[in-house]
Amino acid sequence: MTDTRDARADALLNAVNAEDGQHLKVFLGAAPGVGKTYAMLAAARDMRRQGVDVVVGLVETHGRAETSALLEGMEILPTRKVRHAGRDFREFDLEAALVRRPAVILVDELAHTNLPGGRHSRRWQDIAELLDAGIEVYTALNVQHLESLNDQVRRITGVAVRETVPDAFLDRARDIVLVDLPPRELIARLRQGKVYVPETAAVALEAFFSPTNLAALRELAVETVAAHVDSDLRDHMLARGGVMPVRRRVMVAIDGAAQSDYLVRVARRIAERRGAPWSVVFVDRGRVDPERRERVDAAMRLARRLGGEEVVLRGHAIADELLAWADREGVGQIIVGRTRERPIARRLGYSLTQRLLRRAAHLELTIVATPAERARARHRLRVGNDLGSRREYGLATVATVIAMAFSFIADRFLSVANLSLVFLTAVLFVAARTRMAVAVYMALLCFVGYNFFFAPPRYTLAIANADDVLAVVLFLVAALVCSRLATRLAGQVQSLRAAQARARTLVSLGQQLATASDAAAVRLVGARALARALDVDAAMLVRDASMTLVAETAAPSPFELTPQDRAAADWCEQHGEPAGRFTDTLRAANCWMLPLGGETQASGVAALRYPAGTREPDVDRRGLAMAMVQDIGQALERARLAAELEGARVKAETEGLRNALLSSVSHDLRSPLASMIGSAGTLLSYDEKLPADERHALLQAILGEGQRLDRYIQNLLDMTRLGHGNLTLHRDWIDAGEVVASAVARMRQLFPDTRIDVTLPKETVLLHVHPALVEQALFNILENAARFSPPGEAVRVVVRREAGRLLVDVNDRGPGIPEEERAMIFDMFYSVSRGDRGGQGTGLGLAICRGMIGAHGGNVEALPQPGGGTTMRISLPLSDPPDENR
Amino acid sequence: MNPTAPRVLVIDDEAQIRRFLDIGLRAEGYHVFLAETGEQGLGLAATQSPDVVILDIGLPDREGHDVLREIRQWSDVPVLMLSVRDAESEKVKALDLGANDYVTKPFGIQELMARLRVLLRQGAKGGQADAPVRYDDGTLSVDLARREVFLDGAPVALTRKEFAVLSLLVRHPGRVVGQQQILRDVWGATHTQDTHYLRIVMGKLRQKLGDDPSTPRWLKTEPGVGYRFPAH
Repeated sequence: MTDTRDARADALLNAVNAEDGQHLKVFLGAAPGVGKTYAMLAAARDMRRQGVDVVVGLVETHGRAETSALLEGMEILPTRKVRHAGRDFREFDLEAALVRRPAVILVDELAHTNLPGGRHSRRWQDIAELLDAGIEVYTALNVQHLESLNDQVRRITGVAVRETVPDAFLDRARDIVLVDLPPRELIARLRQGKVYVPETAAVALEAFFSPTNLAALRELAVETVAAHVDSDLRDHMLARGGVMPVRRRVMVAIDGAAQSDYLVRVARRIAERRGAPWSVVFVDRGRVDPERRERVDAAMRLARRLGGEEVVLRGHAIADELLAWADREGVGQIIVGRTRERPIARRLGYSLTQRLLRRAAHLELTIVATPAERARARHRLRVGNDLGSRREYGLATVATVIAMAFSFIADRFLSVANLSLVFLTAVLFVAARTRMAVAVYMALLCFVGYNFFFAPPRYTLAIANADDVLAVVLFLVAALVCSRLATRLAGQVQSLRAAQARARTLVSLGQQLATASDAAAVRLVGARALARALDVDAAMLVRDASMTLVAETAAPSPFELTPQDRAAADWCEQHGEPAGRFTDTLRAANCWMLPLGGETQASGVAALRYPAGTREPDVDRRGLAMAMVQDIGQALERARLAAELEGARVKAETEGLRNALLSSVSHDLRSPLASMIGSAGTLLSYDEKLPADERHALLQAILGEGQRLDRYIQNLLDMTRLGHGNLTLHRDWIDAGEVVASAVARMRQLFPDTRIDVTLPKETVLLHVHPALVEQALFNILENAARFSPPGEAVRVVVRREAGRLLVDVNDRGPGIPEEERAMIFDMFYSVSRGDRGGQGTGLGLAICRGMIGAHGGNVEALPQPGGGTTMRISLPLSDPPDENR
Repeated sequence: MNPTAPRVLVIDDEAQIRRFLDIGLRAEGYHVFLAETGEQGLGLAATQSPDVVILDIGLPDREGHDVLREIRQWSDVPVLMLSVRDAESEKVKALDLGANDYVTKPFGIQELMARLRVLLRQGAKGGQADAPVRYDDGTLSVDLARREVFLDGAPVALTRKEFAVLSLLVRHPGRVVGQQQILRDVWGATHTQDTHYLRIVMGKLRQKLGDDPSTPRWLKTEPGVGYRFPAH
């Protein structure tokens, strides 16, 4: 079901792309000279007549007059002059085209390979960029340049075409216009010299332009256009809600033999026909020789270009691995090449093909016949591979000599039959360490030695009895079994080791990324891990304030980026695809650029600088790099989201505080003002009529409320100072007793009726603090205590020195604070949020107190008190005065 | 109006403050001059020869400190500064520039009147030169000339520094003495930041005089600024 849904989504996306500036029109011909450029120019002139902004980016007229005539009156972009190998060439100027931004641009020769120095190595990449920029492109292509047709063309014409265009690119075309010319007419045009032929290729082309070739090529071209129309139709149907059969994945298994490329192309064509996704699978059994590994990599690269998925499995049993993966991934068809059939294995029903046939009854199995050259290549490969080194033969020879020497000595004590065991041991010993050819050599050598020197009749190679025949067979069997086991084991160990190293690297990266708290830490961890795992210089590039990508973090040491690196990094970030070295885009760069893409947006670029002359990393290393970069990208995304969440949380909290502050301001500023205004108004209106004591009471109210307002404003000011985080402490040495005394003195003015008992230490205790702040903190606590203290009960203040700290306990006999609220009373506006229960409290006092004491490295807490009431304790660190000299 | 009444110049930019000072001061029988700006205040100070100046630190045209500096260039008239809380450094600076005392806004009129009386009394005696050499309130008696201190008739033994601090305060009764000034006068100009010396000595002094630090009778703390010894 999901498959169908995905397919529909794809189709809609394609439809959107097609209508949304992804306009590519390809003029496809079967061969040079059919008139593609002419047709293209004619179409462009039509558009121009309709008032469309059409420019010619690059057109090859090859000196043909009719074509040149069509160019007249068209706007032609200047080309870029490139000097290469002592000659000047004209190249399409991508920059100029992007700057000019026409509605439609003509760029001939889609398959052209750019000379070094351009942004991309291939022209189709230039065109892809134009399309991405929303420019409609007209271009021309000969069918033999299509990647998936490459082999077929070679088989048909015998000419290898090196300049190919990925099929995936052609899929982007909205229209493919077939420019057709019957072969006979084309050949006539060729004879008239109307077809441009480079001199160097004249001979080859003579063969190329044969009627049979042209007919076959023409058929290919028609087929291609038809296939494209088919897939257009399919997209259209899907987009309109039609139902498509479930597309089962096509899987091709490659083994790195010479025809892997060929298999990939076949798979692509089959998958294309079925409209199915496809994967190229290689089963790594460890111990793959470099040459073969290189071919696997090349095939994987090709698959990538053709739009296939690359998969590397690990395991020993190829068939098991392939089938397990096929079942897991919903594969409908498996494609394998015809392998060299080992006669014995086939007898035993043991070859890969047979095993697949037997076990994959539910799958469609396609065995692709491969040309004869494959067997030869395979043979050469075998010989090169399994011959073994000279060292190994040396080892075998030495082992035989030792076995013989031992046997000569043991000859006196042992029977001849037992001597064969000595040789057998030697064979096992060598076979376990070398490859099969060496083991066989060893077996033969030992047999000859044993036969000649020990087996009767001695000193002849004649075999007297059946026991000796058995010895030969045993030697050989032991050698073969043992070497096979050893080889397999070594391969498995190596493969396991590689897989384990990769897993370990990724796990350790994951652990480190998990502990990184923010994006900068993630980048640092990421750069270090990449540098260590891949043995490269790694840097994380992010955009700075001026939107330039700069190396923010680098490991092991910072390095300079070249202009090419910067261009590659920019491209990589914009397109979300790798660029620079080891890629097809801007490969002149020193670094391999990988996008650090999260789910939603690019978070920068990872630059990997390999030492000069390093070969392109193989599939494993490449995969590891990609996986690591992906992990880092996801971690960055996570960090970004976390930061956003945190920002939102802080914002919500600030919002809450602001609301609390507003309600506090309106309540605490207005109520004293209301009574002041009321009292003053009453005095004004009824002055004469009021008795003296009532007048006095009103005046007292005005005074008292004014003082209350003053305290509240003081609180707000203190809060602002604390809230801005720029509270500067003007520390001074001060007698703790004096601070307490002045806070108490202020308190007594405010609550003349409340008794405050103060107990100070006998000794002078010096604090190094900002006196006014500490006094204010203490004042706020005293105010609270006095407010909650029942009439007639004293507030007790006890100051003492304990364990290097000054403790000030303020104790009241009020209602006390429930345990669950003890921590909350220090929150801003706590009393406000409870409404008016806190009497005249603003809810700021204790928060300010904690802020001010906290700024001095001290703390404030509400202590439980048996028997009711509250004890608030201020604790401040004490330090020694600079010296005791008075 | 009584021509011998003390003349008070009020320099403050706030009309409401000027008004209630005007009313209160006139009710106390002072002759009041009001100035809105520093310039105006300087003009009145020069022409009206006030006996005491009440000067707001924050003025619209120029800093109160500037006005004070200018007045001090040609006059020793007692100056009472009006300041706000949490501006200890401003108060200290004003005292350094020659202000004689300060009140913190918002203030009660009684507090202001008490400070004014102290200033006028000393001003009338011609400044600090003729400061009292004796203090005696029945419990504590200090004789500066003979360097003797008695508490309830019993002699108190003070160290040299303790006595120096006490005598400095006694010579300025009812007025704040900045801690910088005490440090400079008693310990020397290089010790103006060593407030811990002063705190320790003050602690010892209070102990010896039996002065409860939480409700001091003689050695009152002006937080962040200095100390004050009571007037008789």
